[in-house]
Amino acid sequence: MKGRKVARSVLLGISVLSYIILWAPALVLILFSFSKNRFGIKWEGFTLEWYANLLSQPAAMDALKLSILVVAIAIVVSSLGGTLAAYGLYKYQFKGRGILRVVSLLPLVMPTVVTGAAMLVYFTQLIHLRLGIGSVIIAHITFTIPLSTFVVLGRMSRIDWSLEEASIDLGANKVTTFWKITFPLLLPSIFASGLLIFPWSFNDFITTYFVAGVGVTTLPIYIFSQVRHSTTPIVNTIGAIFIIIPLLGTLFTSFFRNRKSAQSRSGHD
Amino acid sequence: MIDTGNARCLEIKDVSKKFGAVTAVDHLSLYVEQGQIFSLLGPSGCGKTTTLRLVAGLETVDQGEVLLNGKIVNDIPAHKRECSTVFQTLALFPHMTVEQNIAYGLERRKVAKKEIIRKVARMLDLVQLLGMEKRRPSQISGGQRQRVALARSLVLEPKILLLDEPLSSLDRKLRKEMTIELKRVQREVGITFLYVTHDQKVALSMSDRIAVMSKGKIEQIDTAQGIYEVPKTYFVAEFMGAVNIFRCRLASRSGEKMYFETEEGMKILAAMCTGVCAEKATGISVHPELIELSPIGTKIANKNVFKGKIAEMNYQGDCIEVKLAYHDSKNPITVSLSNRIRGQSLYKVGEEVLFHWEADGSNVLTD
Amino acid sequence: MGAVADTISSKRSSKITETRRQHHSGKKIIGFLRRRAYFPYVGPLSVWIILFVIAPLGIIIYYSFLRAGPSGNIIAVFTLENYRALFNPTVRVVFLRTFLLAFLTNLICLIVGYPIAYWIVMYGGRWKHRLVFLLIMPSWTCYLIRLYALKTLMGYSGLLNAVLLKLNLIQAPLQLLYTPGSILLGLVYAWLPFMVLPIYASLEGLDPLLLEASSDLGANSFERFFTVTLPLTKGSLFVGSLLVFIPSLGDWLAPLLLGGDKVLLAGSLVEHYFLKQGNIPVGSSLATFLTAVVLLALYVVIKFAGQDALERVL
Repeated sequence: MKGRKVARSVLLGISVLSYIILWAPALVLILFSFSKNRFGIKWEGFTLEWYANLLSQPAAMDALKLSILVVAIAIVVSSLGGTLAAYGLYKYQFKGRGILRVVSLLPLVMPTVVTGAAMLVYFTQLIHLRLGIGSVIIAHITFTIPLSTFVVLGRMSRIDWSLEEASIDLGANKVTTFWKITFPLLLPSIFASGLLIFPWSFNDFITTYFVAGVGVTTLPIYIFSQVRHSTTPIVNTIGAIFIIIPLLGTLFTSFFRNRKSAQSRSGHD
Repeated sequence: MIDTGNARCLEIKDVSKKFGAVTAVDHLSLYVEQGQIFSLLGPSGCGKTTTLRLVAGLETVDQGEVLLNGKIVNDIPAHKRECSTVFQTLALFPHMTVEQNIAYGLERRKVAKKEIIRKVARMLDLVQLLGMEKRRPSQISGGQRQRVALARSLVLEPKILLLDEPLSSLDRKLRKEMTIELKRVQREVGITFLYVTHDQKVALSMSDRIAVMSKGKIEQIDTAQGIYEVPKTYFVAEFMGAVNIFRCRLASRSGEKMYFETEEGMKILAAMCTGVCAEKATGISVHPELIELSPIGTKIANKNVFKGKIAEMNYQGDCIEVKLAYHDSKNPITVSLSNRIRGQSLYKVGEEVLFHWEADGSNVLTD
Repeated sequence: MGAVADTISSKRSSKITETRRQHHSGKKIIGFLRRRAYFPYVGPLSVWIILFVIAPLGIIIYYSFLRAGPSGNIIAVFTLENYRALFNPTVRVVFLRTFLLAFLTNLICLIVGYPIAYWIVMYGGRWKHRLVFLLIMPSWTCYLIRLYALKTLMGYSGLLNAVLLKLNLIQAPLQLLYTPGSILLGLVYAWLPFMVLPIYASLEGLDPLLLEASSDLGANSFERFFTVTLPLTKGSLFVGSLLVFIPSLGDWLAPLLLGGDKVLLAGSLVEHYFLKQGNIPVGSSLATFLTAVVLLALYVVIKFAGQDALERVL
């Protein structure tokens, strides 16, 4: 069937082209993070000096530390709150359940300018919270807690809840059951949500920019200032790291996962 | 009725199909005559569903030929073959109404709208679903969904209808009703059915002919009666419930009777049987319902009579299943006593009884 | 003797009624909580949402109706003058441009995204998951960096121009940046994976037997796609569109980096009014307007695709 073959090649063509377009900027960035050239695009030689330079920049390192701190707190708090909420949403029917679900979506769906601006006004005008690390952390928790909720909620239907019932049947009370049975069962989902929270929070710029105030610099904010007044290709370096690390991470985890799945095979009728 | 001249409706010639290292269908050959209900019966993994899919065109053969009405269809894609499939999970389109589901194939054939309406209405009447046209699959019962799937395929008047265990998801009562329904529809429409199932009862009640399959090969093709009463191989015997199997060889003949002897010295009487060379026979199978029990001391002549001890008794409602231990046999003997006389508990566990069956109840098997 | 006994017993009985009363109100609270076993679970989330999502949004909407004072303070006078700013010709142009770009981004992502998702699901085989990962991965980098990378690539003296010049495909370097087109490219580049993801998920969940049944009933590949595949994955198109359209509306970095602050979008305006000018009421009115649009889009998607489809993407 000629029509089919044509369609197939068109699909292939569009897909390949898209992959190239999506990855080209990233690859070029990585490439030029090793280039001796300071400005233009001419390749002038391989060097690691920019990476070494990065490590000796206290501002960059401080920004990195702050970003990691914020992410760590966001993950812990959001995982806890989100998992609890997912549990409640899944197991119980109550008035306002629908509304809660929709409203919880808002931080994820709203444009970041709006949420950033709203939080800024709220902090400064209403509750008079001084802008700083605290406000940044609050903002990050705000948009990561729904993330955690929905990721865990989405996986709840795949869990074998009869294990909880068995635990109660064998004499454990609700609290023990939660800690010894429910929580371990949910651990993979919590881990998955953590995996999603990390990039979302670590990379966040716009919201953070609005609520950070003076002197609080997370890594993206640092990058922004560099982009505006760039003299060194430090952005290339940071960018390259940003791209390579998740790549290695996913390669590692997929390798890990393949080993596990190789143990189970199914037959044919 | 559909007239196709002399050609058989379906013919499968030496067909094989592999999935990776697994051979699903192994040099299979069979044919189905016009207007028959032909069943492929076997346990899961025997290749019956693969065979069906090869006929439908949903899989391609590795070797061999599939012929529909005398024409080789190996290279004809699924949507162009003149056969229609009723899937095990029914595969009704969830985003379409009952009407739209049934009309789907007709629309693909660019049949005129008026004609479609007429045919769909007639089909709804045939499967007794009038009034359900505008409903969605999620809004009707399991049995009704079955009928929609059937109607959807039948409305296209295919040369052969392929059914892949369509009743397996129904409860027993519904299954019995639907089996009768299917037979009725088939007789009315006259279309050939190729039916795949693992359920012996369904196959026996529905089919004109049955092919029992195991590991990609056909064990035996016969009528329902033939498959049940005269199984030719060990597999078929066990699959159809004749679980009393004795490995033995022909010891002697006397007129119309043959004597077989097992390794343990058990002597079994069999009547003269046609079609099997007695010398090649390696065993005998006996259905549980053909064995009777009598108290020790009863005079029984001209039959297979042995003494055994009752090990278990299981009440099944319509019958009582009794397991006997017999010293000359490694496996227990299974007897199915009809529960025709109620309240009667003639025998007890641990009791010694005589078990016996007629010579023609012994069925000869070969390897 | 009797009088002492009486006083002791009366004291005891009053103590009993006292404890009984306390016990009773305590029981009421316990009863209230027990009937609402879900409180401790959804409580934290609900409280947080009220405090840090609803309240801020509420405040913005409130302020959008107040007057801006001369020195940046807010006067508590109800006025609609901030919304009149929306009809200001410059603002109007910006908003129109924003909506047009967001719409075009959405359209392009649909046209390009569905084939990609389809190809991965139908022809990806064992590599399906890895292909999807490969597609999503660039999105895990900071948006800022991605835009920056794109900018260096497309610049006047950027790599793309250099390659084209060297291949003699063009005589002089192309002006690729600082146009609405470059912003459009940036937006598509940024959000395309988020269109592919829900469509992919939806196609993956499609029952293959439905496709087989369709073929069995006589449909060829094209008919099968348009009568079965597409209708059943319709919801994912809405979800994907939501995930592309809304960020495009509020985007402020793309116009900044790729548009060079010469081409403005709605997001840029909001940032300008809040951070640069410090004019909260006007900024709030812009933000409220955007919020209204977002809520409308959210409503449409939930109505047509259902909330589960949206959540499942995560």
